[in-house]
Amino acid sequence: MATSVEPAPPPTPTPAVARHAVAREVGVYAAAILAALVLIAILLLLAGANPLVAYGTILRSSLGSLGGFGQTLNKATPLVLGALAVAFAMRGGFLNVGVDGQIYLGAICATGVAFALGTGAPALLAVPLVLLAGVAGGALAALPAALLRAVWGVNEIFVTVMLNFIFLLLADYLATGPWNDPLAGEAISRPIAAATQLPPLMPQAGTHPGILIALLVAVVLAWVLNRTRLGYSIRAVGDNPIAARVGGIAIGQIAVAALAVSGAVAGLAGAIEVSGYHQRLIVGISPGYGYMAILLAVLGKQRPLGVVVAGFAFAVLLVGSDSLQRSVRLPQSAVLVFQAIILLTILFAEAMRTGGTGRLLGVVRRRLA
Amino acid sequence: MSAELFVDPQLLRLTVAIAAPFLLAALGELLMERGGVLNVGIEGMMAVGAVVGFLGTWGSGGSYLVGIGAAMLAGGLLSLILGCYAISLRGQQITAGLGLLVFGLGLASLLYRAAVGVELAAPRIQVLPSVAIPGLARLPVLGEVLFSHDLLVYGAFLLVPLVHWLLFGTPLGLRLRACGDNPRAADTLGVNVVALRYGATAAGGLLIGLAGAYLPLAITGGYSDGMVGGRGWIALMLVILGRWLPWAVVGGALLFAYVEALQFRLALVTKAVPPQLLLALPYLLAIVVLVRVYRGAQAPAALAVPYDREARG
Repeated sequence: MATSVEPAPPPTPTPAVARHAVAREVGVYAAAILAALVLIAILLLLAGANPLVAYGTILRSSLGSLGGFGQTLNKATPLVLGALAVAFAMRGGFLNVGVDGQIYLGAICATGVAFALGTGAPALLAVPLVLLAGVAGGALAALPAALLRAVWGVNEIFVTVMLNFIFLLLADYLATGPWNDPLAGEAISRPIAAATQLPPLMPQAGTHPGILIALLVAVVLAWVLNRTRLGYSIRAVGDNPIAARVGGIAIGQIAVAALAVSGAVAGLAGAIEVSGYHQRLIVGISPGYGYMAILLAVLGKQRPLGVVVAGFAFAVLLVGSDSLQRSVRLPQSAVLVFQAIILLTILFAEAMRTGGTGRLLGVVRRRLA
Repeated sequence: MSAELFVDPQLLRLTVAIAAPFLLAALGELLMERGGVLNVGIEGMMAVGAVVGFLGTWGSGGSYLVGIGAAMLAGGLLSLILGCYAISLRGQQITAGLGLLVFGLGLASLLYRAAVGVELAAPRIQVLPSVAIPGLARLPVLGEVLFSHDLLVYGAFLLVPLVHWLLFGTPLGLRLRACGDNPRAADTLGVNVVALRYGATAAGGLLIGLAGAYLPLAITGGYSDGMVGGRGWIALMLVILGRWLPWAVVGGALLFAYVEALQFRLALVTKAVPPQLLLALPYLLAIVVLVRVYRGAQAPAALAVPYDREARG
């Protein structure tokens, strides 16, 4: 089966042409998002909700108050990190469907280190150690897929999917078994010590500084991709693996590097969820962030900036639909449908513009004129 | 633990039953891929098939036909969305497939909540009754293992020679395979590539929807989110493992079904092993199998490649 995903768009030429292309791209996106909003409105009507009221609720609850905005920033953190992880690997032509598993192993390692440190270490030392444990855990979770890809050419999509289930089960085992908190009930671990918790960014809004870490990671990854030898090699492999190999790039090594970095970033998201948000290991730590991350990486065109914007928009949608659940009794899963509709309409619009259908419309137009 | 634990007739009977959804989904995917369309959204389509099959049966007061028909229809419709992207729009099939996957997972959960509500105790249906085949069912061991199943199991296994005959014994199958290997040559000879690819995609969707419906209708009797549990991904893998040959898919389906059945069995007899480790067995097996899957696998040459009549080739 085809293994290269979404060849990255070619570098933009002269400024005037580039401006024109960007304007058209923005136009296509705007039209597609409008179409998606209409489709979602129809869905809301079918569910018996007033779409305008629902959209108002989404915006008000996620952006309209300090507390809501703080929640949106918290939700944006794993979404942005997960999407950055997917996008980074995607630039090299590797599809990491295992962000969920990497979040879980990152969270497991972070929790383990936090338990080991206990109350003994000062926060200044303990928090970075916990986050680093998450980074290591995430990279470790991606390693089997990376090595199998590098050594035997095994498709990383399948391996990362299977590892998702395995690490979810490992988290379930730890949270219900050895680390279980008998007072909290099912599938929740004991809390980690205060010194190992990320200090709040805006205490009154319940916001942790994860979003700042995520933005920093976005900047670092953009730098790696565009300014370093590794980034160049990854992009070369993604654009044209044969040319890259002929040019002397060891594709196996690049696969390992790209997927390990990708896993590390996702693992960091897991550590932040533990250290900053839940303060424990819980089994529901990733409500499908991995799949959302893939959609976001595609929507953000695999560019760190695009991914950050898309991630924030999805966070608005997530927090907003949480309150939708309370006001119009729409289930949480509706948000997955919304997100998929947005992706599919944007893909549709892009295919219409670039693919044969655009040409077909041109032919029809000429015939009619 | 004795050796009988691993080969007793009840375990083998369960294996054959659990193989049915793997087989149905993999055969559906195989049809699509033979035509050149790659569908990575099986998991989501099966989830929709499961919920629609369950709700159809439950809502109609236990009519399996309504449930099965609705689930197949839903699978077919979803696969047509993919077909629209892959065939008409000539877009990225993996990306569209992943979009469809998320759409399916969300839609399944949404439909269930919308139809059932939250407060009610989870509704249940009677699972499909077994139909013993007269005569054969009374064979010692084999009768129990092979000939006392529900009708969908027989159907799934009968589909194997049927799909094989369709692909390799009929002009239609030859044309479809040509669409997957060399659409330009097929087009030159007057084969309607677009129509055949749409047809194969829709037929595959029907089977994948049915595979999803099998889970609540024949195994659990109820629906829960995440009940597909990676079976869609494993089915996708089985197609590659079986080298796009219907007969070869059966072996892989039985292997994964056996491990799944064994895990239920082991959970009953051992208390020392954590249940999560047993539940992880199929996924661990999948990773081991994957190493072999890619050795010398030769996909249809035009798999996941959109066909553009007007392009210079």
